[in-house]
Amino acid sequence: MADVATVAIGVVQAAGIVALAPFLTGVMRKVKARTQKRVGASVLQPYYDLAKLLKKDEVVSDQSSWVFRAAPWVMMVATVTAALFVPALLPLSPFGAVGDVLVVLGLFGLARFFTMLAGLDVASAFGGLGTSREMMMSALAEPAMFMTIFVVSLTLGGTNLSSLVGAAAQSAGFVAVPSMLFALIAFFIVILAETGKVPFDNPATHLELTMIHEAMVLEYSGKSLALVQWSQSIKQLILLALLVNLFFPAGMPPSLDAGWQVAAGAGAFVAKVALVAALVAFVETRVAKWRLFRVPDLLVMAIASSMIGVIFYYL
Amino acid sequence: MMSGDVEHAGAVKYRAAVLRKLGRKARSVRTLNGNEIHVTLAGKEDAPDACHFVSDELKTKLATVICTDECQQGRGFVVRYVFGKENGEDVFIFVTVNIDAAEQSFPSVALRIPAAALFEREIKDMFGLVPEGNPDTRPLVLHEHWPGDVHPLRKDFDGRTKVGRVEGREYPFGKVEGEGVCEIPVGPVHAGIIEPGHFRFSVLGENIVNLETRLFYTHKGIEKLAETMNLDKVLLLSERISGDEAVANSTAYCQAIEKAARAEVPRRALQTRAVCAEMERIYNHLGTLAGMVTDVAFSYGAARLNILKERMMRLNEQVAGSRLLFGVNRIGGVGIDLKGKEKLVMDTTSSVLEDFNRVVSLLRNKSSVVDRLRNTGSIARKVAGDLALVGVAARCAGIDDDTRRDHPYGIYGELDIDKHHDTPQHLMEYEVEMQKRRGDALSRFDVRAEEVVNSAGIIVRIINNLHDGELVVPDVRDRLEPYRHALGYAESHRGQTMHWVMIGENRDSLFRYKVRTASFVNWPAIEQAVLSDIVPDFPIVNKSLDLSYSGNDL
Repeated sequence: MADVATVAIGVVQAAGIVALAPFLTGVMRKVKARTQKRVGASVLQPYYDLAKLLKKDEVVSDQSSWVFRAAPWVMMVATVTAALFVPALLPLSPFGAVGDVLVVLGLFGLARFFTMLAGLDVASAFGGLGTSREMMMSALAEPAMFMTIFVVSLTLGGTNLSSLVGAAAQSAGFVAVPSMLFALIAFFIVILAETGKVPFDNPATHLELTMIHEAMVLEYSGKSLALVQWSQSIKQLILLALLVNLFFPAGMPPSLDAGWQVAAGAGAFVAKVALVAALVAFVETRVAKWRLFRVPDLLVMAIASSMIGVIFYYL
Repeated sequence: MMSGDVEHAGAVKYRAAVLRKLGRKARSVRTLNGNEIHVTLAGKEDAPDACHFVSDELKTKLATVICTDECQQGRGFVVRYVFGKENGEDVFIFVTVNIDAAEQSFPSVALRIPAAALFEREIKDMFGLVPEGNPDTRPLVLHEHWPGDVHPLRKDFDGRTKVGRVEGREYPFGKVEGEGVCEIPVGPVHAGIIEPGHFRFSVLGENIVNLETRLFYTHKGIEKLAETMNLDKVLLLSERISGDEAVANSTAYCQAIEKAARAEVPRRALQTRAVCAEMERIYNHLGTLAGMVTDVAFSYGAARLNILKERMMRLNEQVAGSRLLFGVNRIGGVGIDLKGKEKLVMDTTSSVLEDFNRVVSLLRNKSSVVDRLRNTGSIARKVAGDLALVGVAARCAGIDDDTRRDHPYGIYGELDIDKHHDTPQHLMEYEVEMQKRRGDALSRFDVRAEEVVNSAGIIVRIINNLHDGELVVPDVRDRLEPYRHALGYAESHRGQTMHWVMIGENRDSLFRYKVRTASFVNWPAIEQAVLSDIVPDFPIVNKSLDLSYSGNDL
């Protein structure tokens, strides 16, 4: 079972996710800027932002309660904990025995729950607006996510992430199995929704009236804002890692015995995440934001797609 | 340029019509400055009927309401309702009412001409004259902290006075009550770098039930300030009413002065003015289109349009020495010379236009963009007519008013900018096209895109036969007489801008400078336009109407 070495590997892997998440955000912003004929900020800009925010004082509304102060910590702890369970560079999560994919989704749900509470807690009009929109979206995004995971679990067997990814490594990915193809479509749409990308939400806007996620965290400043942004980056990297490891097994080491294979697998993982991230950024460039009340259509499409995946599995 | 004393053919016809109907009530009916028919009523109680006749039966549109304090000259307060005939003869009808200095009130025409309501509230604040019968008695320009009995545009108020602050008053916003109705206060300070304005939404879920705007947070006292300056300084002031309308506003001001002086401005100066005005229109429309595309979060299209806007602004700098085209106009002419820059202007404009056509066809084929704009922020034609909207806000709803064509000024009379009426075939197609316009953000997008193309065409046509000759006619100031007045107007990218001047006693000053920008008229449209929309679509509605805070908060 879990000896010291695997625990160490797991901790290092989680630390890597936490440390590199802002870098991924920076890369996605850079790709977005370049595809939009802008020069864009450095890929390290998210780190500079975090460093700046961590040094700054906070302004906290006197109308708010402990919920507002606690929420960023809950978000951070929930996403960092989720990072411990997710196989990223290695097709292995050493803490798999205590947490599977459902726990990861549950942790995201917890973080979201506290974000929404914090949005309501400050009693500003925008927090309430953002929260009600987020509830509408998550009421559809979460079922879509679970349906997708259901298809993946059926196809690859079980909900334990290590065994799922291990099975994925032996498979040909989505290419050979139609049910996985439909799950992939659904998963991609859900990732766009969960990370607040353009057809759903515009993270770059300054217009309070159109915001979803940003409206909920509008009142945060200083360290709390840093935690909010950082945990958002970590969540994004975890979701992309899941997508890559479950659906694109190419390059994954079949076993952990050969050191060079493991290293090549890690390299392949980085390359695949970067590619998918670039694809997401490209999608953001290519479409305008949808009308708020048309957004559910897209999520319903994700649910439908994963339903088709279930049907294909049983056919 | 019209020469002062010749009465236009249209004016003769309308003067006869006015005489027939209002002859008995009027103290005098006369034509001034060629196209201004001034009807002075014998008694102020006839104003509502007379205004209603002029607006309804002569089919004119309320352009502005001007109040002057002429008490020191023994004439009391004078209120002039100015109606413009759009899409027909070039004529303006002034219904003038004298109000005794002791009375401090005048009959409201707002119940019959809704567009007059805002003007009457403005007069109430600035002159202390109460519009009897105006249902909205709330202050408009002056906010709660301003003492209620101080009226800044009265002649006995010194503009340098520091007035005290009154505490404890609150502005009564309209209340919408009912189950589930929430209020969202937005502003006056916004998240982006824009000017201040307060929006009070009443929402049912995401649906907007009511919107009230509160503006005038940056009231600068421009009209009062102008009365203390010489004419050249006021020119600089007029350019700064709203920085992005510098050419349109200063052109309207200069034309008012030139009309009052009966001066002939050299053709070359008129051509230069028109070229700069069209350059201004292009760069602003590009900016607004980019803003609309930004607000639907299609950053790629927005970036392409912003690049084009930047190229036009650099052209502005090369041509006029100012990115915002400040310093183009002089009284009696222009301060810049286009000679030697023709090729630069032509090349830049045509290459920008070429790129622009590509970007627009990209955007029109982008379903996610078109879907956001279609049916968003619709302005019904009836509403546009009642509010007397101008510019793009009116044209998008199928009311095709364009000051450049309806009241040709400067060089526009020769340009034949409207080719729709050439043949019956064209006319019919044009009318069908107007019927199709639905007043939504998409039609505003289309109107703006079309105007960019038209403006580029106008620039090319003028540049191709640029005249030689003087840039400025020097003796305008000497020909001015005290208390002569004239109306100047121009079509900015937002719509018709109206500048009325009354020359002061010493010829190099103004007794009264009344400015009515397109923004002042069009702001109320936003309250109507959002009624079928949801809260997250408000920024698109707002941007597509492209209203200026600064141009409103004079």
